[in-house]
Amino acid sequence: MHISEGILSGGMLAAGWAGTVAGVSFGLKHTESDKIIRTALVSSAFFLASLVNIRIGPSSTHISLLAPMGLLLGYSVFPAVFTALLLQAVLFGFGGLVVLGANTIVMGLPALMCHVIFGKTVRDGRGKTAALMSFIAGAFAVMMGAGLSGVFLGLSDRNFLGAVKLLMIAHVPLALVEGVVTSFLIMWLKKSVPEFLS
Amino acid sequence: MRTKIFIGLTLAVGLILLSECEILAHGTGYRHSEIRAVSLEFMYSTGEMMSYREARVFSPNDEKFAYQTGRTDEKGRFAFVPDIAGTWRVIVRDEEGHQCTAEIDVTAEFLAGKSDGTQQHDDGTFPQGMELFIRALLGVSVIFNIAMIVRRRNAHQ
Repeated sequence: MHISEGILSGGMLAAGWAGTVAGVSFGLKHTESDKIIRTALVSSAFFLASLVNIRIGPSSTHISLLAPMGLLLGYSVFPAVFTALLLQAVLFGFGGLVVLGANTIVMGLPALMCHVIFGKTVRDGRGKTAALMSFIAGAFAVMMGAGLSGVFLGLSDRNFLGAVKLLMIAHVPLALVEGVVTSFLIMWLKKSVPEFLS
Repeated sequence: MRTKIFIGLTLAVGLILLSECEILAHGTGYRHSEIRAVSLEFMYSTGEMMSYREARVFSPNDEKFAYQTGRTDEKGRFAFVPDIAGTWRVIVRDEEGHQCTAEIDVTAEFLAGKSDGTQQHDDGTFPQGMELFIRALLGVSVIFNIAMIVRRRNAHQ
């Protein structure tokens, strides 16, 4: 899901950075002091998740944990995503520094939307309802991320417009895997450490 | 009679020459080349090869227009034949926004066949083993250090 350096146009790079600055500022304002360590913990999990490869058919990909990030961190998800992506770019070469703004939007916005759309239902729901909503949130985050990637690529270069559909289809298996992972993770947290979801 | 034979022969020779010219104009051929190529492999961080991806080669003289275009093979391999010394760039990208740029220093010795290889600016491979572990640990450490700094700053305010 990381967009590489040298692909996006100047306008889309600027738009990505503008959105990221706004998102990170907003997130920092809404990060409570007692939840900073939790934010660091979830950000670390997201940072490390990129190293976990999953084989899907002939190709392989890595999990993103976007939905759990949004559901656990709420509005403070943007600073967590930004920090993790910055370190992924510097230490592993994923994405890049110039394109960091766009990548933060591609992954931060779906995570934030998961909090806005599914947060209350997942926190307050019980049993199968919470599990199902977590699954939907996990799948939704991946598909929205793929869609946003397509928007950035398509608006940068018309040649990519035809690939947007392909991009969405290619992410369906990952969306299903992420849905299952999110569902299991959230249900485990609700049982073991419910205060983590507060 | 002689005139008819002459015209007939002229026509026959003309037709043969025309057909010969046609063969020369559209004919193809090949020969084994001794010219050395720069051969590269492109892969994702997951270890999967970048198979059948669009590849563009840029010569040191022209950063704008590609010297050569093509696709990687099934195993992510791509080769090109440089004609001048300098830094060559090979860009391979897919339709999902992934792009890999290789920068290769081609020397005059390589072109003359005197040296064995070319030099890459960066090997571009994903860290493995202990190096990967150390980088992952460093990343987690940086995240928690940032968190502690922010927490202390908030406590002081």
